[in-house]
Amino acid sequence: MELLLQKFSEVSFLSGIPSALLFVFAATLIAVSLFMFVAVNAIVAVYAERKISAFMQDRLGPMGQGVGLHAGKWGLLQTVADAIKLLIKEDIIPSLADRKLFILAPFILFIGAFIVFVGIPFNQHILVADFNIGVFYIIAMSSIGVIGIILAGYGSNNKWALYGAMRSAAQIISYEIPLALSLLTVIMLVGSLKMQDIIIAQHGLIWGILPNWFIFNNPFTFIAFFIFFISGVAEVNRTPFDLPEAESELVAGFHTEYSGMRWAFFFLAEYANMFIVAAMSAILFLGGWQSPIPGYMDSPAWGLFWFMGKAIFLIFVMMWFRWTFPRLRTDQLMQMCWKYFLPISFINILGVGLWDLWLN
Amino acid sequence: MIRYFSNIWQSITTLLIGLRITLVHLAKARKGIVTLQYPEERWPRPERNIGFSHDSYNVIRSRLHVDIDDCIGCLKCVRACPVDCIHIKTVKVEKGTDILEANHIGITSNGTQKRLLLTRFDIDMSECCYCNLCVYPCPEDCIFMTGGPNSSKQEIDYEFSEYNRSDLIYRFAKVPKDQVEKYTPPPKEKVKIDVAG
Ligand code: SF4
Ligand code: SF4
Repeated sequence: MELLLQKFSEVSFLSGIPSALLFVFAATLIAVSLFMFVAVNAIVAVYAERKISAFMQDRLGPMGQGVGLHAGKWGLLQTVADAIKLLIKEDIIPSLADRKLFILAPFILFIGAFIVFVGIPFNQHILVADFNIGVFYIIAMSSIGVIGIILAGYGSNNKWALYGAMRSAAQIISYEIPLALSLLTVIMLVGSLKMQDIIIAQHGLIWGILPNWFIFNNPFTFIAFFIFFISGVAEVNRTPFDLPEAESELVAGFHTEYSGMRWAFFFLAEYANMFIVAAMSAILFLGGWQSPIPGYMDSPAWGLFWFMGKAIFLIFVMMWFRWTFPRLRTDQLMQMCWKYFLPISFINILGVGLWDLWLN
Repeated sequence: MIRYFSNIWQSITTLLIGLRITLVHLAKARKGIVTLQYPEERWPRPERNIGFSHDSYNVIRSRLHVDIDDCIGCLKCVRACPVDCIHIKTVKVEKGTDILEANHIGITSNGTQKRLLLTRFDIDMSECCYCNLCVYPCPEDCIFMTGGPNSSKQEIDYEFSEYNRSDLIYRFAKVPKDQVEKYTPPPKEKVKIDVAG
């Protein structure tokens, strides 16, 4: 953001414009480009997900041969066509729904996902705002989404939607704890909540061969990475933790009554959240934009490449999970969180503290 | 306590087994795909084998086809059909002569001289029950199911879907539209019987 404003002030024909206006312009530009990123991310990810699921199940997935009404070669245009379809679909609001909440819910959910992108560093320079409380901000903002889910479930006036919303609330609140606790291990090692500080702290080599990413830093952070990632998957309500939208039990869970554009916002939010979890795992444990071979391929362009590569790999892992594991039962879900993840996270924190003391 | 750790161990190992299976399927995606891109690809048709050695025994039940140039309009097929889905109209014409304007050929490929001109030969395939009964009585062997032993005469067609049900009525008569009127005989006048006398 500061960099963009600085660039603007250097351009001569913009010098006459008051700085407040420039600020608004820059903010709009960033917001629009982030929105484009989220939308493109969703379109590409949906296509990838359908293809990956198809190949894992020995199917072909979206396909199209020839021209005309077919969806392009290998079905490449399938999700574009789906997006257009969603845009032009009728906007249905159930007559007994709570109109205001029903309309508001998808936007709250989407904003909760969208606003987090402000704090995510894509490489050395592409970062909207490097807060002092970066990690804290992201954790706090990504929890806004659950309000949208609960409003959607409550406002739909539908028992499936309400069940889904209640499950989602229980699930997100429980998994927030191991998530934050395993995140603390990293913060203990870095001593800062700033995103760029965390990434810069992962520069160099460890044990002589491995990059000094926190996942390799010590056994406790290694476990913490998995707890963080799995809790993250649980937070974005993806299979095997998709109880809020369990198709086989709740039709579509909290978004049963939604269709068309409003439903598309739920979808955008889901895929944006997936990207956030993948990006956060990459930043906190896999070195963000740091290259795996320190000192080589370290330019900002490569930084973007490494960061996106790690994030996309983790998104792939999430899809891999989804098409491999069956859904957990509610009690199993809670058991996993409170009986396994939580104690292990506490031990992790203790272990990281001792490790840090012992080494330094 | 042992149970606790064995639970963790067991879940990790079993999850890894699951992940391995799906990854193997993903990696082998080129080989094992079972989807058939239907309009472009089809399953191979099984060979006709019903245990009879009759080669001419036409058991393919695909779609009826009529070689209208060979049809003499004898209506045997109409009478055989149990669901009355064949509709034929004929007019008497000069025996064995071609009528070019009505696309009528006077002599069949068997050498039979035709006495009748077919102004209408419709088969409603949406009513047809594929019983094949119309095929046997035909003296000229000109009504048959496509494909199978007849594939030299007509390629097999077993997927003749249409958007409109009326498009399933196959019209085989070749008399041009503007000539139909000319070859339709005037309706017979009803003979009035004066009951009162
Ligand atoms: S196959 Fe059977 S039902 Fe169909 S037209 Fe021939 S006789 Fe009629
Ligand atoms: S039985 Fe054969 S020749 Fe006779 S009307 Fe039918 S198709 Fe024509």
